[in-house]
Amino acid sequence: MFRIHCPHCREARSEEEFSYAGEAHIPRPVDPSSLSDSEWGEYLHTRTNPRGPHREMWVHTAGCRRYFNVLRDTVSYKILAVYPVGEMPPEQGEA
Amino acid sequence: MSEPPGVVCRECPDRAFVNVRGDVGDPRLRDAVAQVAGVDLPREPGTWNQADRSRAYWLGPDEWLLVVEGDDGLEVEGRLRSALDGHFSVVDVTGTQVHKELSGPDVGKVLQKSSPYDFHPRHFPPGRCAQTVFAKATALVAAREDGAFDIVFRRSYADYFMRWLADAAAEYGYRLD
Repeated sequence: MFRIHCPHCREARSEEEFSYAGEAHIPRPVDPSSLSDSEWGEYLHTRTNPRGPHREMWVHTAGCRRYFNVLRDTVSYKILAVYPVGEMPPEQGEA
Repeated sequence: MSEPPGVVCRECPDRAFVNVRGDVGDPRLRDAVAQVAGVDLPREPGTWNQADRSRAYWLGPDEWLLVVEGDDGLEVEGRLRSALDGHFSVVDVTGTQVHKELSGPDVGKVLQKSSPYDFHPRHFPPGRCAQTVFAKATALVAAREDGAFDIVFRRSYADYFMRWLADAAAEYGYRLD
């Protein structure tokens, strides 16, 4: 069970209140219709799945219902950083 | 019959619920709410303000729940819309909300059983509010000056919630007013 710090509520909350929302920093293609099937498939399905620090999105479903980014180590499960959507994670352990 | 109940649940009927969204930095929003409902929008996360018959609960960085006693949701929404200017959202949600007041010496234990959130007064003093997991559903809980708690939850959960509360509070003595 995680304790996740919600940057909007500004306090640590139980994991029960949150939902995982997938890997962060995957931009939607500007013009999807110009993409080949394999390029579109790449965007939809291919993820980095790293062993170590992973940049991911979470949403505070039962709380403020806002999204934010988390840098989490997939080996230790340690949350290394929490940062707003639209920003890059702090320098430590770039994924 | 002589033992006073450990937990008392009271219905808080006849209230208007309006969801307000907008930029808290915009004085037009704060002024309009103050003018219509007579209450200041709280800027601090997880807090609520009360003034006269109105309460404003912080739901998110740009979202509040406005509760006005003895008023009509659509009329409050209408008055806010006339008073507001710019980029905002005002929605009457009266029909979706149920407001209960929980009090009594054992109310803290029932909250503890129902939610992973820490409702102890050292963490959750009067003036704090939190939307959290409650009875495996979600609710807005607010701590009041008199030691009681306001709980706001969805109407569709009402039957389930009341059964949950009655069951959770049974061991302390439960009274539904």
